[in-house]
Amino acid sequence: MNDFQVCMENGEPLSQELLNIPKSELQQVVRKEKITDVEFKTESVSYGKDVWRRFIRSKVTIVATTVILLIVVMGIIGPYLSPHDYLTQRWDLKYMPPRIPIVEKLGILDGTRVLEVQVNDVESYGDAVVEDLGTFETSSAFGKGIMARIRVNMYVYNGVPDTYFWFGTDAVGRDMFARLWQGTRVSLILAFAVVAINLSVGLVVGAICGYYGGWVDLIIQRLMDVVWNIPSLPLTILLIMLFGTGIAPLILAFCLTGWMGTANGVRMQFYRYKNREYVLASRTMGASDTHTMFRHILPNAIGTVITQSALSVPGVVFQEAGLSYLGLGVQAPNPSIGVLLSDGQKVLMDYPFMIISPGIVIVLLMLAFNLMGNGLRDAFNPALRQ
Amino acid sequence: MLKYIIQRIIAAFCTFVVVVVVVFFVLHFMPGEILDLSPKIDRSVRELIMAKYHLNEPLIVQFGYTMRDYLRLDFGYSLKVRPGVPVMNVVLERLPVTIQLNYFSAIVILPFGMIFGILMAVKKDTIFDHISSTIVILLISVPSFVLAALMQYILGFKLEWFPLILEAEPHLTWTKFYSMIMPILALSFGGIASIARTLRAEMAEVLTMDFMMLAKAKGLTYRQTLLRHALRNSCVPLASTFLYLFLGVLSSSLVIEQIFGVPGLSKTMMAAINGHDHWLTMGIVIFYCFIGLFMAILADLSYGVVDPRIRMGGKKDE
Repeated sequence: MNDFQVCMENGEPLSQELLNIPKSELQQVVRKEKITDVEFKTESVSYGKDVWRRFIRSKVTIVATTVILLIVVMGIIGPYLSPHDYLTQRWDLKYMPPRIPIVEKLGILDGTRVLEVQVNDVESYGDAVVEDLGTFETSSAFGKGIMARIRVNMYVYNGVPDTYFWFGTDAVGRDMFARLWQGTRVSLILAFAVVAINLSVGLVVGAICGYYGGWVDLIIQRLMDVVWNIPSLPLTILLIMLFGTGIAPLILAFCLTGWMGTANGVRMQFYRYKNREYVLASRTMGASDTHTMFRHILPNAIGTVITQSALSVPGVVFQEAGLSYLGLGVQAPNPSIGVLLSDGQKVLMDYPFMIISPGIVIVLLMLAFNLMGNGLRDAFNPALRQ
Repeated sequence: MLKYIIQRIIAAFCTFVVVVVVVFFVLHFMPGEILDLSPKIDRSVRELIMAKYHLNEPLIVQFGYTMRDYLRLDFGYSLKVRPGVPVMNVVLERLPVTIQLNYFSAIVILPFGMIFGILMAVKKDTIFDHISSTIVILLISVPSFVLAALMQYILGFKLEWFPLILEAEPHLTWTKFYSMIMPILALSFGGIASIARTLRAEMAEVLTMDFMMLAKAKGLTYRQTLLRHALRNSCVPLASTFLYLFLGVLSSSLVIEQIFGVPGLSKTMMAAINGHDHWLTMGIVIFYCFIGLFMAILADLSYGVVDPRIRMGGKKDE
């Protein structure tokens, strides 16, 4: 029964010398320091910090956020960057093609347009003709004629060779660059206002419904059942017809049913968490209802709510643009992205540049918000926590 | 189950009543006369119309009369957009082209959306998945009207492959269908993308579940496990999406109809609202609302059909 054998660290048996140490040389070891757990080498991470870390880990999300920030910044300062005002009309300079100082030397965005004119008229364009693209024959009711296709610098032709409209001008000669960013500003203000209202109303109503339950919940739920299924588009159109076009009626129309999605989500979360032990503990310790609701239960729902809000911003921009196509968008002198798009749509075949710049901005905006929303969802997802 | 259906129908009926009341009063509070004083309208005709709709009475009485007419399924006559034509006929006349457009695009959306969704879930985290996911995000982000403008300019104007606007033929002929391709495509891309995205997420989750292993263990082929077990389970959250597809397209087609010059229902509604043609507006809005509510009830019920585990009403034996 003598299996137990003391050995050296490397497995060799202890030498005789070590086994036969005289008792007088042995000594009891006493630890002078208190034994404690090893302190964590890693820093403690709060929930917010953790979310932030996962948020910035994805490159796509960072790019998307940067694009959003850029567009927001341009929405703020953009209209002032252009030498032209977004409201000044210049009837002599309508539908001027885009012309940007340095880029024009590359042969693009140089303020030229291909025109088809009668051969005899070519001379009247004088210096403005940049390039002769040959002639072709046409036959019309007036007989056959020879037409020339020429590339004309519209700025020289209109006698303003030193003027630059970076993104061109619209039907009444307003600068598209300034209008584009002014429109972005209007669209974004609208979208953020709608989302903020939906968020706050939805949070409060959802929290009350979910936390208190009972007849309050029942009545609000039945009301929401009724309002939720109203087809939003005809109603929106009617409201706008009633209150007139403008930012305020648009916000009202979008908020009418918009808060219900948030309210439903928040209500579900409150139902799920309100009977948990920690909520009970908080209540036992005398926390007020508001404190329990917003400090202890709400943080569970905040991730989904924020993600939902980020994803609904492009939806509002999209809807506003859709209404603008129907002539129900923002009021006339003030542009929005939708107004610019629908203006461009009207002259799509002749002046495609009108729709390109707002088109790019709206696509970038929607893309960036969708990608950032996805990034937020991943960042808030506790399953992905490390 | 029956109790649940009845509950839903009652809620839907309330919504319907609310919509009718709101639409009626919003329309009648709108600035502008219902009958303008244009000399075109004969005095006797004017008086006839006044008498028919009781325009001299207080609004609340007018409302009563209108409701009485509606109960008899008499939706009045269009006054300005299509003078003298019963509203019912205008709706039925304009409906086919809108329905054709919507349902053709739904027919495009369903198979493509599902195929892409399944493929992306099966080939998750491969090059194919990454590329398709990028395309899906792109398609969801590009508004349908921007896409429509792009197609109109490149495919229609520059390449001259398709006509720019819809042919005005009354019946669905080959040329008309040909001119409908662009609007159908413009309506479809977003739907395909959103279905593919949802299906991918759902299916990727289902594929990792234990019962998939069981299905494989009992000797089903991969295709069988995929179609019988994975697809059916991942379609549960999509059931309502499929139904709303028909409804959602119905409303988004408004702008597309405007761009491609489709003489559809939405365009008629805009004309009616702009022209203060109140009875036509009401008729169309009520029609939209009816379809919407019907779809909503159907969507709720469809959950129970697709997934037998979901028993509505909260009781076991129902």
